[in-house]
Formats: sequence, structure tokens, C-alpha cells
Amino acid sequence: MRKKLALFIFLGWILLLVGDRIDELRVYQGAQIAMYAIALSSIVLLTGYSGQVSLGNGAMMAVGGYSAALTLNNLGSPVWFAFVMAVVVSALFGAFLGAAAARLSGPYLAGTTLALAVGLPEIANQFDFLGGVPGILFDVGFPPARFGEEFTQYKWFFWIATFIALLSLFITSNILQSRYGRTWRAIRSNSLAAELSGVHSGRMKILAFTLSSALAGLAGAVMAMTISLVAPGAYTLALSFALVTGAVLAGVSSLPGVVFGALILVAIPEVADVLATRWGGDENLNNYLPGLIVSVLLILSVIFTPNGPGEKLKRRHHKKA
Amino acid sequence: MIRKTRAKGTWLVATVLAVGSLFATALPAHAETGVSSSEIKLGITLPLTGAASPGYNKIGNAMNAYFKYVNDNGGVYGRKITLIQKNDEYSPQLSIAKTNELILKDKVFALVGPLGTANYTSVHKSVGLAKRGVPSLFLNTGFSGFASKKSYPTSFMILPSYAMEAKIIAKFLKENYAGKKLGIVYQNDEFGIDGMGAFKAAGTKFDVSVPYTSGTQSAATAQTWVSQLAAGGAQVVVFFGVTSATAPLLAVAAAAKYAPQWILGSVGADPLTLRALGVPLAVLNGALTPAGNPSPNDTSDEYVKQFQEINTKYNTGTAFDDYVLQGMNIGLMTVQGLRAAGSNPTRKGLISAMESKGSTFASVAYSPLGYSMTSNVGHTGYYMAVMDANGDRKPFGGKVTLYTTDSGSGPVVVSTFKRPAMPAKGLPSNS
Repeated sequence: MRKKLALFIFLGWILLLVGDRIDELRVYQGAQIAMYAIALSSIVLLTGYSGQVSLGNGAMMAVGGYSAALTLNNLGSPVWFAFVMAVVVSALFGAFLGAAAARLSGPYLAGTTLALAVGLPEIANQFDFLGGVPGILFDVGFPPARFGEEFTQYKWFFWIATFIALLSLFITSNILQSRYGRTWRAIRSNSLAAELSGVHSGRMKILAFTLSSALAGLAGAVMAMTISLVAPGAYTLALSFALVTGAVLAGVSSLPGVVFGALILVAIPEVADVLATRWGGDENLNNYLPGLIVSVLLILSVIFTPNGPGEKLKRRHHKKA
Repeated sequence: MIRKTRAKGTWLVATVLAVGSLFATALPAHAETGVSSSEIKLGITLPLTGAASPGYNKIGNAMNAYFKYVNDNGGVYGRKITLIQKNDEYSPQLSIAKTNELILKDKVFALVGPLGTANYTSVHKSVGLAKRGVPSLFLNTGFSGFASKKSYPTSFMILPSYAMEAKIIAKFLKENYAGKKLGIVYQNDEFGIDGMGAFKAAGTKFDVSVPYTSGTQSAATAQTWVSQLAAGGAQVVVFFGVTSATAPLLAVAAAAKYAPQWILGSVGADPLTLRALGVPLAVLNGALTPAGNPSPNDTSDEYVKQFQEINTKYNTGTAFDDYVLQGMNIGLMTVQGLRAAGSNPTRKGLISAMESKGSTFASVAYSPLGYSMTSNVGHTGYYMAVMDANGDRKPFGGKVTLYTTDSGSGPVVVSTFKRPAMPAKGLPSNS
């Protein structure tokens, strides 16, 4: 535990040093990688460990984003409290949803969460206090003046996002290695056998949904910070699918793999831009190509490596060892 | 134990990979962003697709057509202008992402003509345009807040503010429709709220007030607007929204045989786009609108004539309408701004030139420009126009009566301002 903590602190220190030496676009993308890493960890916990399939993580991110923005704007609270509220409200929402989800499985659960991903962000259009399509601002403010003039807004986002990502991944990693993680894996492997061993699978599934939602909500708040805004258009169905793809590519039961998955998700628009430029520079193509790439990657992954290339590599490595 | 060590190793590998990827693609910085010996790179975000795209999707190509014309005639002090268009689908979060691409990846010198009030508000904050010192010229939005030098030190508007527009409509209503039942449909974001505040300050009381949320406009929602207006007995209806909302409103009203006197805000009143969206000519006939520019069909106007010629040659196949006219005019003003910034333009120099010389630029609009050391405001007035049976726009009362005002409590006055002449062949030679 102490060694792991030291490792995470060391990683954090390395990342902060890196933040000083790369250009602003990469700093911004670094913050996005941190955000996606948190979001993907919510899928690893839910799907990789407890065996529940959710296509609605984008919606849970929206819950977190709106909770953070409403807290910050209406209560005038410190920024850290807005992130805490994102976690708390998303967890409560997840617990409520988890109670229903625990009764469902397979395609029924996937269908329910898919409906959530489609419908929930659109609810924002119906209520003025949620800002409609333009959304509401989420302004974490300028970096402290003591960091100097050269310390940019994006570097500030990067610092905050990296800190939150490392902290949440450290906590998640410990939870997954605790008896809770083992119990979830037991449920995933054989729910009936787990129950015969005295595990209350319903409660444990609700707990997994709650924690997963809390992580997704936190990622939603970090995303809101990086775009200074929460709006329905930020938490689309495409985002939910991209997260599932990222998790599958990373290896859905590998927590360190979320960094690879996050890298892939941030790299996809870059790749799309290069391809669109090569194919004539059509701006519309540039907008729609990332979604196409995500879909193709998901299909290919499901056909050739159902648990993701990350899992396959891991198994190959284990066999050699 | 082995497993734990392996897990820690995986964490390290993951981080090293992430760090390596960020380093591997880092780019070196340039001396003056977006300007080389042969090129000036500019960028614009606008909706090329999506619900709000009709009309607006023509602006970028119109600007590009004008820039190509300038490039073919020597460019700006020998440099060619390259305009990079990014499709934000009128969504603030896409707008932020695309502006980031323009500034951090494409490394444009300045933004020109970014579109949408909510979009620009969030882009300005998130991307930090002011802190970066990125000039943002000729915003395609009339939100009066953007005129503030303190809040938006590097931004310059082009349209009169929505508050100015509302004040001018309020005066017109008072002079021509006193005693009639008034209704209004407005977009309930900064755009509409800016206008509503000015109506209230001018003492205009609407008997029926129908707000709508941006992006929700459709035939179904327009049905509810029309029902409310008709139920309230509104005889004169002001519309303060975008063209993609004007079209269903007018079409549904026509189908319901509800025919009040329409006063369409300048943003959503391009006849050609409305007709393309299915609004019958008969409905448009007699509709009133505040207008800043001459009709795009008025070939007796030297600006319109020149821009039409450029459109025919460099924007082939695109019908010449208000949006094309606006795009070309932004192009014309951009070139004047770049020339005023000198032969070795810098971002600071461009902002300074806009402040000191911007108010003298040639522009197709009839009203004066308000750029100064203390204000970012663009044009400052409108004339009232009426649409005819051909979908064309003529000055109300047969001749242009230009009203000018400010966004605050200043009076609305009839102006005798004479706009500068179009530069010879449409090619600015200012310095």
C-alpha cells in the first residue's frame, strides 16, 4: 500500500515535470487523457470486475458535470467542493440506478443503460436552470498568481485533472485489490457459486454501480472543467460508445490499461484529422471520421479479441511467465 | 507478490507511454504565430452542418472567395491569406474543441467571424483568447456584452448589438403600431435576453411573450409558439431568433392562417434562406425587418455589385444572399485590418490597428463603426426594411432612414452618416 502510494506520487511528479516541457496542445490533451482514464476506470470496475455491462457511462458523466457546475455557480463553493459534489450526486444516482440494474443482466441491462445515455443529457434541454443546448459555464478560475504569468490555463487544467486521476485510480486500484474486488470477480465468474458462498450478489452489484457512477461523474466534472462548460452535446451517445471502445481496447479488467485506452481515445481525432487532410481536407469528414474509427475499432476488437487486445497481450504474457 | 510487482510495472509502462506520446508530437514554437513570409493563416468556427447551419454555412466560403480574389491580386503586402474553416455545428463544446485546434494546432494568426453568442462566450473563457492575446475579429453575434474592452480586450464585433436592434424596433413599434397587441418570440439565451432587456428599458410591453431554447426549434415547437401568439391575440409579432427558427414559425403560422404583422430580427430574416427552408413568398410579403446592409439584389450599390462579381468567379454556384454579402464584407474588413497592422503584422499590432483605425474601414453596412480604445462595438445602427412579393427587401417608406444608438440608455436618433466608398476594384489600399 505504502509502496503503491509512493509509486503514484512519483508518477504524479513525473507528469508535472512533463507538463512544463511540452507545448500547450499536448498539455490540454494530457488533461483529456487524465479525464478519459477516470471514465474508463469506471467501466473497468463495473464491467471488468462486477460483470455488469453499461452503455450509459456518458450519461453518468453528464450527472457529474451538471452537479459540479450547479454547485459551483449556485453555491459559490470552492472548486474542490464542486468535484466532491459531482462524486456524491453521481454515486447517489448510480445507487438508485444500480438497484434497478441489479435485477437485469445481459442485453436487458445494456438496453436500459443505452436508453439512459440517449435520454438523460437531453433532459437538460427541458429545464432552463440547466441551460438548454448552450449549457452552463463551469469556470474553475485562473491558476493562482504565484505560479507566474507563464503558467497557462491549460496547464492548470492538466494539474487538476492529473491530480484527480491519480488519486481516483489509486483508490480504485486499492478497492479492486480488496475483498470487494475479489467478491465482484467471483460474481462475474459465477454468480450462483458466489451466492452459495455467502455473497449477496444484488448488494454487491449495486455497490459496483454506485462506485462506477461516482467515477464516471468525477470524469464528467473534469471534462466540464477542460471545456469550461456543461452542455448536453458534450455527453453524447458517441461518448458512451467511445468509452466502451476505449475500455475494450485497453482490456476491460485491467486498471493500468485505462491509460492506454485513454491515449487511444485522445489519439483518434488526431488520426482522423490526418486522414481527412489526406483525403481532401473536408471539414465534415473530419467531424464524423472519429466516430467511424471508434465503431470500426470496436467491431474489429469484438471479432478478433473479444476481451480486448490488452487482455490478450496480458494472457500471452502470463503464459510465458 | 510477483503479481503486485507486475501490476506496478504495468502502471509505470502505462505512464511512460503516455508521457512519451505527449513528448513525441510536441512542436516547436514560431516567432509570430500564423504569419510567414508568404502566408497569413486565419481561422473561423461556424455551423457547416446541423440545425443552425442554413445560411450560416455560406459565410466561410464567401470569406474564402473574397480572400482568393485578394490573393490573386497580390495578397496583403505580398502574403496570401489562408482561411481555415472548422465546423462547430453551433455547439459550444465543439466550438471550444475546434477553436483549440485552430489556435494550438493550426496556429492561426487570428480568428475572424466566429459565430454564435453562447459559443463565443464559452470559447473566450475556455480557450483564454484574451490571455493568449489572440485577435478575434468581426464576431458574427450582436451580444452587447462583447463590446466591453475590459472583458473582451482582443475581440471586435461587426454587427450592431441586439440591444441596439431592440431599441430601434421599440421606437418603430411606438411610432407605427401604438395601441396594437404585441407579441414576441425570442431565443432565451444571451441573444434574446440582450434584446428583451433593451425592449424593457425602452418601455415596450409585449402582451404575449414566447421564449424558446436554442436548438429546440422545429415545426412541432413552432406549433406551440403560434398557438400561444394566436390565443393571446397578438397583432404584431417580433421574432428574435435564428433563421432555422424563423422558418418553422412562419410556415406553421401560414398553415394555421395566422397572419400578424411580422417584424423579423436581423439575424433570422434572410429571404433567400427562408424561401429555401420552405417559407411561402406570400408570408414573407410585407414582413418588416431591421437591416444593416443593402439588399443583396441591389446592384446599384457599389459594394453589392463588386461582391456579386467576386461571388460569380470565386464562389461558383452559390446564390448571392445576405449571408454571402456578410461573409464577403467580413473578408473586406479583415484585409483592411491586416493592412492597417503593417507589413510585418503582429497580434498586438492588429489589435492596436483595430482600435485606432477600425472605425474608418470601408464596409457595406450603412451605419458608422464604433471601434475605439474603449469599445469593441462594430456597426451602430439599422434602417427598417420591408420584404416584397419577390422576397426582396426594400427600405420601409421608400428610402433608407438610418437609426443609430448605443447599447445603453442613449437615444435612438436618425443619422446622416455617409459610409466610406468601396475601395477601387474591392481591393483595400489603406495602411
